[in-house]
Amino acid sequence: MEFDLAYLAAQRPALMRGLWLTIQVSALSIGLSIAVGLCGAAIRVLQVPVLDKIVVAYVEFIRNTPLLAQLFFIFYGLPGLGLKLSLFWSGVLSLTLWAGAYQIENIRGGLETVGKGLREAAFSLGLSPWRFFRLIAAPMAVRVGLPSMLNTSISLLKNSSYLQAIGLAELTFVAIDRISMDFRTVEMFAAICVIYLALVLTLSFFASRLEYRLNTPFRT
Amino acid sequence: MDLLIKNLPFILQGIAMTLSLALATLFFSTLIAFVLGTLATLRFAWLRIAVKVYVELFRDIPLIVNIFFVFFVAPLFGLELSPFAAVTVGLSLWGSANGTEIVRAGFNAVPRHQWQSAAALGLKGWEVYLFIAGPQALRSILPPFVGLLTLLVQATSLGALVGVTEFFKVGQIIVERTTMMEGWNPAFTVYGAVLLIYFVICSTLSWFGRWLERRLKADRSRVAPGTPVVEQPVTQLP
Repeated sequence: MEFDLAYLAAQRPALMRGLWLTIQVSALSIGLSIAVGLCGAAIRVLQVPVLDKIVVAYVEFIRNTPLLAQLFFIFYGLPGLGLKLSLFWSGVLSLTLWAGAYQIENIRGGLETVGKGLREAAFSLGLSPWRFFRLIAAPMAVRVGLPSMLNTSISLLKNSSYLQAIGLAELTFVAIDRISMDFRTVEMFAAICVIYLALVLTLSFFASRLEYRLNTPFRT
Repeated sequence: MDLLIKNLPFILQGIAMTLSLALATLFFSTLIAFVLGTLATLRFAWLRIAVKVYVELFRDIPLIVNIFFVFFVAPLFGLELSPFAAVTVGLSLWGSANGTEIVRAGFNAVPRHQWQSAAALGLKGWEVYLFIAGPQALRSILPPFVGLLTLLVQATSLGALVGVTEFFKVGQIIVERTTMMEGWNPAFTVYGAVLLIYFVICSTLSWFGRWLERRLKADRSRVAPGTPVVEQPVTQLP
């Protein structure tokens, strides 16, 4: 059993297609989940009646059920309600709902560090609520919440591999599919491990860079 | 509803399988985590780096890939693992990586002066770990380990992908069987019920974790004034 580099080179187009799909699904879901997080966190922080209870229930439910079951419920179960989504959009929806729950908590944690006294001080200085949010609350919240938001995003990227279970041809699916045809197990696993590691490490590198830059005012 | 009652023994069997998978994994994860986590607190830089590489490697690779890796690659080395064993190993690699971080952070949270005064009293290295630092570290280690168990219960659903008949697979089988034999698709009901049952199991566990955390924290504030802020390890979600 020797390591066959030529085989990997031959499989590059297939792997690249899988990688591209992984990136597409992840990028779209990360964006949407942050949007969900912002809405949910706003509802929690502003304590909108009824809605905030729903958000709490949603977060608890998502965090205490496996992503795989959520995915199957969305892909196979929702058509029972007459909602038929394509493979791609089922994947995006389930990843968005899953990560959205975590993003709500991340963003809320950030917003909650902005104390009430600060808001009162800002208002007494004559700042409008919007200017208070833009100039004071948001920068503080982002600094606290961003690391965990990026962490959730990285998890989402890894979890896009769950979508192979419903048959979306992303990176893991391509690899497993190839293995069942050509039996070049070691080569394929080496390839996807390296690719996933590269993706995750690149993202965490940019995450730590961003964190460093956001902390500039606090560095001595 | 009839469907669920009719399949009740099968469902219970699946839940039992899920829990035994989670407990087996927790056992191995804890074992490895305590060894590696303790090693990472010793004064050898190369050991720390080696542990760090292990932790980062298995946290950064998707859990599914981990499991498939064990499942497909072990036979190439003449190791015929059953699906159950393969999933246990795959999950343990991930669980122990996260557990190691928890243990390491737990030891680091023990105040410096505790180590120093233990050394000043002439205790040997292993005695300090066993009698002084260990019990204190355990306080900050236990609650996140319950959290880890919750995530492990959820992660065992991946066993379905390599053919372990755990709870999620049971749901899948019921859906397939009913579609084939009775000609209607109960996916919505069955997967909905599956989600609910997972929710009950996991939220009970998370509730227990939070309860434990509150209890141990209350204790802690009494013990050491000026205890440093506990560095919370971040569990990479499965």
